[in-house]
Amino acid sequence: MNHPARPRSEWRGVVADYLGLVIALGLLILAFSLSTRYFFSAETFRTLANQIPAAMLIATGMTYVLMIAEIDLSVGSVLGLCGAVAGVALTRWHWPLWAALGGALGAGGLCGAFNGLVSVRWRLPSFIVTLGMMEMARGGAHALTRSQTEYIGPAIEGIAGTTVGGLSLPFLLAVLVVVAAQTVLSRAVFGRHLVAVGANAEAARFSGIDPGAIKTLVFLISGLLVGVAAIIDTSRFQSANPNAGSGFELQAIAAVVIGGTSLMGGRGSVVRTLFGVLIIAVLNTGLATVGARDEIKRLVTGAVIVTAVIVDYYRRRLGERSTR
Amino acid sequence: MNRSHLPTRLAASITLCLLANGLLPGCKPAGESKPPAPAKPRVALVMKSLANEFFLTMENGAKAHQQAHANDYDLLVNGIKDEIDVSRQIDLVEQMIAQKADAIVIAPADSKALIPVCKKARQNGIIIVNIDNKFDDAVLASSGVKFPFVGPDNRKGARAVGDFLARKLKPGDPVVIVGGAPNAFNGIQRQLGFEDAAKAAGLTVVSAQSGYWETEKASQVVAALITEHPDLKAVLCANDSMALGAVAALRGAGRLDQVQVVGYDNIAAVQQLLKDGKVLATADQHADQLAVFGIEYALDMLRNKTTPADRETPVDLVTAETLSGK
Repeated sequence: MNHPARPRSEWRGVVADYLGLVIALGLLILAFSLSTRYFFSAETFRTLANQIPAAMLIATGMTYVLMIAEIDLSVGSVLGLCGAVAGVALTRWHWPLWAALGGALGAGGLCGAFNGLVSVRWRLPSFIVTLGMMEMARGGAHALTRSQTEYIGPAIEGIAGTTVGGLSLPFLLAVLVVVAAQTVLSRAVFGRHLVAVGANAEAARFSGIDPGAIKTLVFLISGLLVGVAAIIDTSRFQSANPNAGSGFELQAIAAVVIGGTSLMGGRGSVVRTLFGVLIIAVLNTGLATVGARDEIKRLVTGAVIVTAVIVDYYRRRLGERSTR
Repeated sequence: MNRSHLPTRLAASITLCLLANGLLPGCKPAGESKPPAPAKPRVALVMKSLANEFFLTMENGAKAHQQAHANDYDLLVNGIKDEIDVSRQIDLVEQMIAQKADAIVIAPADSKALIPVCKKARQNGIIIVNIDNKFDDAVLASSGVKFPFVGPDNRKGARAVGDFLARKLKPGDPVVIVGGAPNAFNGIQRQLGFEDAAKAAGLTVVSAQSGYWETEKASQVVAALITEHPDLKAVLCANDSMALGAVAALRGAGRLDQVQVVGYDNIAAVQQLLKDGKVLATADQHADQLAVFGIEYALDMLRNKTTPADRETPVDLVTAETLSGK
């Protein structure tokens, strides 16, 4: 502690910032590996990596949304809608693949932009606007698919089926998005504006930032990422299910919160959210591998979320005290 | 000074681990800590909603069977939190592939969406047995795979329930059908069975709507339908959970005496209603045996390396008389 050289302490800050999450994740993996001999294998982790890209993308968007002290409850339903657009476009409208995927992405972008514009224009809480969108998008998904799972088949398999070095294309894409989103957050002007709006929108306005524009843009980004996630899931399942993504909003919020992003805005990190996603995914996979009863799964998952938030409370308090 | 974070976070992380560890031993990991045991086949049972009593009965039947045959195979049971959580079920199958189960006995939450991942399991040498809800034939054919189905003929079962109801009604009487989730094969079959019975007896089906297998949804649907059709004589529900909802709606409207309700599955919750005459009939598919049939089938396939044909399991009509006869 007697070496106040800045680079060293900054490095140490980064380590301290992530170490808790890394250790938590490591201990979870260790616990499951000791519980059953079938858990710790390359196959398990490869499967896991192929399952989480959609969650990674949605949680990344959600991190931005929570950082500006807003919330997006519509992500799960919008995922269902985007998937439905892709599925119906391919099977019933016979669109070429690129157009169907564009349609899915467009649907996500439109829903996101709608959420942002409506809550900014009429100064409505995003909780209400996205709650409405949650119902509208789910209704749209059911209307498009006539409430039936649209089976697409191998036509769309290529996206999730392509692997590079054992890892699927969606996983690599999701990693890329996480890195880009974190870089924007910590290095770009947009990132700083985002933090400013989240910390205090009024103060941000006085310093020349347009909080409305930032807000709209953040919801648009969230919607587009949901669109990409929908394409990935539709490809992985080779089908579009009108109920796809139900409950995703809560999972995404849980992942972001485990990562220590504040629901009050102004503070957060996409990489830490990634750890949140990983912790939930390892829990899901591990509990399934040991064959835990469903009620135990839900008890443990809930307890982990609450524990993470409590831990984060102490981390923050200690951080504030030591910087004072 | 960030170093001061570390002890707290470490302590917290350890708590997290202890929490996981403390709860895990209660989960009875399958085949744990007996590594050298000569390859006992591992059967993974992938279920639908374990919150639904019907599937819980299935699961308990399977577990009892495994305990009675502990030397023959290991069993790993996993389910999803509700019946529409299709993607989670797909994830579960992928995890069973990753841990190289020998056989997967699956009650698919969606008769189409689960086919690609089961095909992948088959390509990895895992035996698939389809129970409860049959895979979609057209999609199976277009994917070039075939999985044996072990289960009841839902259409026949629903027909029997419908026929029993029809004896209490007159031709031309208006009835409504409350179907299951529209993307589930068994729901579609039950609806067809109800329609067969209605057609045979000359009943008029004035409306057929989905109650998504759930009590709450079915109750809303029925409440709306009885206002719309004041002369309604019967509600045919594709499962008993929805029959409970129908009874609640009718009770709320004070029409329980005028409208007959039938269900499907014979869950414990409807048995008192059957005895009281609030529900006229249901069908028993012997849930405790359904998964067992599938598991035995999978073990047969593992032993003999053959793919036998589908096998139909029994469905019995349950009424107040059959219950009191027991």
